[in-house]
Amino acid sequence: MPDAAEQPRWRRDFPIRWDEDNYMTRRELAKFLTLGSGLLVGVNALIAFIGLTRESPAAPVLRIARIVDVAPGGSLLFAYPTADDPCILVRDASGRVDAFSQVCTHLSCAVVHQPGEQSLACPCHKGSFSSVDGRPLAGPPARRLPRIVIEQRGADLVATGIEV
Amino acid sequence: METRQQGLTFFSAILALIATLVVIQLWLVAAALDAALANATSVLVPIMLASGALFLLNAGLLWWVRSFDARLRQWGPRG
Repeated sequence: MPDAAEQPRWRRDFPIRWDEDNYMTRRELAKFLTLGSGLLVGVNALIAFIGLTRESPAAPVLRIARIVDVAPGGSLLFAYPTADDPCILVRDASGRVDAFSQVCTHLSCAVVHQPGEQSLACPCHKGSFSSVDGRPLAGPPARRLPRIVIEQRGADLVATGIEV
Repeated sequence: METRQQGLTFFSAILALIATLVVIQLWLVAAALDAALANATSVLVPIMLASGALFLLNAGLLWWVRSFDARLRQWGPRG
């Protein structure tokens, strides 16, 4: 070991003893990676277990609006099942009513109704969904919008569940 | 020491392959989490099986390369 005064300043400031450092051999790294691989299988199994055994809370029955509140070709924003879940209800020219989550399945921007095009557009990344069944039509979204089950009870439109 | 040098290169290549498979497994974890949060439960079991297959492949590669290494040590350097 050379004298401290002979060493460059950076080595005096950061006196690392390489001979005392812990090196990892290729063999150890291969074993570590394989153990990590087994751990990741366990994580995947845990996610699958939780995902398959988790029970979704019962969807509430919620009155959304009266049918006359939504003009043919128009749309209405509402929240379902909680106040933090924005949704959009679309009524086409023939009077058919469909409702979907307003959260884009790409990066969670709010989709907006495009009257006359039978689509819901996401302005963030030019995504587009069908306003009939919620399937992605264009842009980056790959999954359809969750559908809100709507029933007409008398003059009222009532949300009764969510179809993912 | 030609054989030893070849063995080191071979071990490094297998190590890179194992690391790549682990990265794919990490991606599978992210995909499984995304699917679980979106209630797309039908893909969870296939993802788990794919991850298990990758682990078996990793374990097989590790076992194979270690046995190769042991054989190399037994024969000794010939280069």
